[in-house]
Amino acid sequence: MQEANIPSETKAKQVAISLRDLTVSYQEKPVLRSISMDVPKGQIVGIVGPNGAGKSTLIQAMLGLVQPDAGQIRYYGRPISECRQLVGYVPQTESVDWDFPVTVLDVVLMGHFGRLKWLGRPGRKHREEALHALETVGMAPYRNRHIRQLSGGQQQRVFLARALCQKAEILFLDEPFGGVDAATEKAIFSLMNNLASSGHTLLVVNHDLSVLDRYNQLLLLNQRVIAYGPPRLVASEENLRQTYGGRLSLLDQADYAMADHLQ
Amino acid sequence: MNSLAALTWEPQYWSYPFTHLPTGLWTSVLVGATCGVLGCFVVLRRMALIGDALSHAILPGVVIAFLVTNNTGVWGLLLGALLAGLMTAVLINVVSHNSRTKEDSAIGIVFTALFALGLILISMLPRGTHFDLKCFVFGIPEAVTFAEFSLMTGIAIVVLGTITLLYHPLKLISFDPIVATAMGLPVLFFHYLLMGMISATVVAGLKTTGVILVVAMVITPASAAYQITNRFSNMLILAGFFGALSALLGTILAYVLNAPSGPSMVLAATFIFVASMLFSPTHGYVFEKLRKARLKRHIEGEDILKALYKLENSGQTSTRENISKDAGLAIDGLPPLFGDLIKEGHIMLANGQATLTEVGRERAVEMVRSHRLWESYLAEHANIAPEDIHHHAEKLEHAHELADEVDRTLGHPRHDPHGSEIPGKGD
Repeated sequence: MQEANIPSETKAKQVAISLRDLTVSYQEKPVLRSISMDVPKGQIVGIVGPNGAGKSTLIQAMLGLVQPDAGQIRYYGRPISECRQLVGYVPQTESVDWDFPVTVLDVVLMGHFGRLKWLGRPGRKHREEALHALETVGMAPYRNRHIRQLSGGQQQRVFLARALCQKAEILFLDEPFGGVDAATEKAIFSLMNNLASSGHTLLVVNHDLSVLDRYNQLLLLNQRVIAYGPPRLVASEENLRQTYGGRLSLLDQADYAMADHLQ
Repeated sequence: MNSLAALTWEPQYWSYPFTHLPTGLWTSVLVGATCGVLGCFVVLRRMALIGDALSHAILPGVVIAFLVTNNTGVWGLLLGALLAGLMTAVLINVVSHNSRTKEDSAIGIVFTALFALGLILISMLPRGTHFDLKCFVFGIPEAVTFAEFSLMTGIAIVVLGTITLLYHPLKLISFDPIVATAMGLPVLFFHYLLMGMISATVVAGLKTTGVILVVAMVITPASAAYQITNRFSNMLILAGFFGALSALLGTILAYVLNAPSGPSMVLAATFIFVASMLFSPTHGYVFEKLRKARLKRHIEGEDILKALYKLENSGQTSTRENISKDAGLAIDGLPPLFGDLIKEGHIMLANGQATLTEVGRERAVEMVRSHRLWESYLAEHANIAPEDIHHHAEKLEHAHELADEVDRTLGHPRHDPHGSEIPGKGD
């Protein structure tokens, strides 16, 4: 009866990302098992876990780059194949070829290519949108620079701008804080907060355990979900030890035993 | 039967009438331009070995086409080469994705196997057939027929047209295949499309440079262009131009030296590459040295301005000794720097003594402001020991175009960490 009044409440609770029992294997060895979580729209989720915990596999599966063995990934209730442009990816700094002959604006314009399809060419409207995205991240003055001539924080912003230009509402950031100083980290976080409050949902792979309380939600991951929830509830010493602890769980031992039997 | 003896060549390369030259020359120019443009993708995607692989692996395709059609008609050759080229690309993918073998080894295994298969097939050709292995290995542009020229023209049009039309998706899949896949672009299809185009161009290039050297026409002009420009479109155009230029210069060189033209083209391409390494405005050795020298001189000039400012403010005389001591520069080095500063209108010389002009003084204040702002920034934001701050700021102050941003970031501080006042902008 009061539908007109509630939206802000319900909108905040709208589920942007939903994972159900997601299981992914790599060369017959399960890397992720039974991952389930709901991410409300407008949240910033930090994904934390040791090397080999399956953080990048999770992102690859969620981007539709690897086929899960089982389970479901839904964005606003739809599978990735129906809403690829809705999902944007900001790659790890090391995985980018910084010598590639492209300027900042070139990179941002690439955000359009998914919609333009094969023969489409970016026109004036696309350029304006790309410039707008660059303004949003505060990089418009650098639009004609070559990407090599940027600092670590600026590089992150440019790739964020590309995802915004793509009109992605769900953003994956793959270790955005690798090799940037504290001031830059702060600046990137405030930019992420702005994006979240304008309705974007962000998933951030994080290596640094010192900034965990800045996220709205934390996902502690080590092949399975160790814990998921607000940092003050989730980032307990016990949980972190379980995430980073060296000891193999019984499930892992079972996998290795099975693999041995097969050989 | 072919024997290895057929691989040694006669001393006279220009035995063909000179009137045959244009067909071969224009074919070489087309091959050079097309290989150059395609080469950009090979170079940027780090697939140089694949270029080599494709050129070798099309041998069995060419021989089988020859066996089936029993002549060296260009369409049969093209089809054979295309099939062999695509098979190579697919086999490399299959081997590297279904075994522990890494991609570079997979490429090596696949193309040598196919080349070996081609050699065996040649030996099984019926007695008396004339299959010119020598031409395949070394290339003889003077022997290019009009049909082959027409074929290359067609290939060049198709390849360059395809790249123009698909320029944007090809750029994205080369730069960022992960995001291209996530956006739903058919990355694998584009990969095979590029492989197919390279195979087609290479088979036409065999007649001009031969199987061993054709890879140079793919990689070298593109690498030269890569040195020079930071724009993808410029790189494609430059690489095409360099490829065509290599073919032209190579043919002239071959004519002058009475030498084989394929190798001459490759040497011409190499020459262009070396020149680009030395003289590239952005990455070249020569300009890099010049730029560094100019920057050093600029920084030393700014240090002199600051030294003069300090000396004049503290009422000391601006003798060369004092300037040298304060700016940390050798006395002998001062006169040319003075010359620069006078030319820029920053200082005046009277009786051998330097004084700041109005403009010079403004500039010096700007330096002081920048220095103190950077000191404040370092103290607040960087993990640097207080005693080292001055030292670091001495370098950073020359980035005074960033001073305003530092000022804003810090919230317009009035004093630096040592308590000195930070001059406002335009004070």
